Amino acid sequence: MSGSSFLRFLLRRVFLTLPLLLGVVFVTFMLVRIGGHDPVALLAGPTATGPQIEAITRELGLDQPLWKQFALYLAHLLQGDIGQSWVSGRPVLQEIGDRLPITAELLFWGIGFGALIGIPVGLRAAKDHGSLFDHVSRVVSLLGFSIPTYWLGLAALLIFFYLLGWAPPGMGRISLMAIPPPRITGSYLIDGLLTLNWEAARSAFAQLVLPVVCIAIVAAAPIIKQTRAIALEVWSSDYVRYAQASGLNSGMLRKLVLRNSLVPVTTFIGTEVTGLIGTTSLIEYVFAWGGVGQYGLNAIIQGDFSVVQGYVLTLALFSVIVFLIVDIAVMWLEPRAAMR
Amino acid sequence: MTMVVTSATPSRVERIVNRVIGVSRRSVVASIGVVILSAFALIAIFGPALVGVDPVHPYLDAILAPPSGRFWFGTDGNGMDVFSRVIYGTRFAFGIALPAVAVSLLIGVPIGLVCGYIGGTIDEITMRVMDAVRIFPTIILALAVVAAAGPSLINVVLVIGILDAPVFVRVVRAEVLALRSSTLVESAVAAGNPTWRILFVHLLPNAIQGATAQVAVRAAWAVRISATLAFLGVGIQPPTPEWGAMIRQGAELMSGGQWWVAVFPGCALILLVFGFNLLGDGLQDILDPRRKVSAR
Repeated sequence: MSGSSFLRFLLRRVFLTLPLLLGVVFVTFMLVRIGGHDPVALLAGPTATGPQIEAITRELGLDQPLWKQFALYLAHLLQGDIGQSWVSGRPVLQEIGDRLPITAELLFWGIGFGALIGIPVGLRAAKDHGSLFDHVSRVVSLLGFSIPTYWLGLAALLIFFYLLGWAPPGMGRISLMAIPPPRITGSYLIDGLLTLNWEAARSAFAQLVLPVVCIAIVAAAPIIKQTRAIALEVWSSDYVRYAQASGLNSGMLRKLVLRNSLVPVTTFIGTEVTGLIGTTSLIEYVFAWGGVGQYGLNAIIQGDFSVVQGYVLTLALFSVIVFLIVDIAVMWLEPRAAMR
Repeated sequence: MTMVVTSATPSRVERIVNRVIGVSRRSVVASIGVVILSAFALIAIFGPALVGVDPVHPYLDAILAPPSGRFWFGTDGNGMDVFSRVIYGTRFAFGIALPAVAVSLLIGVPIGLVCGYIGGTIDEITMRVMDAVRIFPTIILALAVVAAAGPSLINVVLVIGILDAPVFVRVVRAEVLALRSSTLVESAVAAGNPTWRILFVHLLPNAIQGATAQVAVRAAWAVRISATLAFLGVGIQPPTPEWGAMIRQGAELMSGGQWWVAVFPGCALILLVFGFNLLGDGLQDILDPRRKVSAR
């Protein structure tokens, strides 16, 4: 595919997401309105006088009609201003931006390992379909669907921290004893390695293991189920049966099935990411990870809806970007897809 | 008249029994699910009376007592009997999940029928709105909306039900799209039926099948979400004996070795959700035989 047609495809995709983004912004905007929570009282404090409250109301634009408030919100948004925390008064965008790499690190390893377990198991289950392996993997995957993420994290802490003593306590991203490396990428593990600070890198790695394993388990369950369904369909397709009848050896057959399953599996994992962002937030909460997820969940619990708005919007934007990346990956894997 | 009724009743019972046997022969997975769910249903109905221990009575002499003959599952930080609380919790699990799924069905099925049959602008707008909602992680959206609307039982049920309605819209819409140009609909139109009659009398019974397999899966989801809300302190509040709220109470104690407070409600939660998921997965096999038989 030539460079210019790729660019055209990309531009069209970005253009098509614009109405979607507007819908997303509207949902986040309405989120704060449905409960009738009054930020003015929170911001002004208990000793505020009548005129002070009026001034703050005017400043936030809350005396305007709803559609004007939405336009105002949109205008601020386009300037990169998503408001300040009702509790701490700090700008939400910066707070979230600082925490983004911390969450991304967890999400990346979690989904990576989840796919690394899920895809081969799903492929094998489809190939030997009806076998003991198939049945066991199906039940295990259904069990994975049924375990609440946060409980899995708690159980992991009980077993591997309290009982066995193999893992560090679930209190943040690095041991209190270790000196955190200077911030380069935002990931203590990578920054520790880059600055040759082995002590910090080792501690960061130890803190990562349990939360990543928990996310990977939750991520793997749907991947196993979907990969199996997709590969099963490919196995029963005419071209694979023809290849089989022509006497291709099993290694080449497996390669054929893998290649033809890859596109739908990639698309599926892309759509899974949205749900896994929620999962990651809960894991962050349990392990006191200090990323966007914990920040957002704490805001929900405290009723700090300015932060909740920014948090929910960030997650949605992240999903949109992931969908875009998946689209590009699919086009690279299967150029036919771009023709549609 | 009486003759007809008496001869009809056994045959209907027989039909249902045959049907149950038929389903269990066709899907082992679904029957295991049914067994688990039946057990939980019995516990929910009769359990509290059999246990006879008040789930919110604080035994001040036995705070955080480990499991023993007196307290089978130990006691929590308030000295409340965990076993009794787990048993009572089944009522909350069913009591939230089933109404929530009913709300989803009541909203999702009619919208799916209308979107699929009438199509056009209504369909286009509905699908775009649902796409926008799908961009958000459901757990987070549910949390945020419940937190904004206030953590009452009714709100939890409504929010879970509304957020999950798109699942049924999609399933029903897809079925209706396939049926729209069938002779069934054509002849119904030719016979002069009004649109609402075609939707609810002719299309609904044919389109609902795909939705029935989803009911169990969505119930599993609803149980999980409502427990997650309570775990974060946004849904039902302690000391109400709800599993998620109980796990919240035990979360801090987990790293200190007082595991029984959170482990037992967690196991009950997993088992119930697992039961729903098994049933749902098995029903999908039965309703869509291609899924199972296909290969080779």
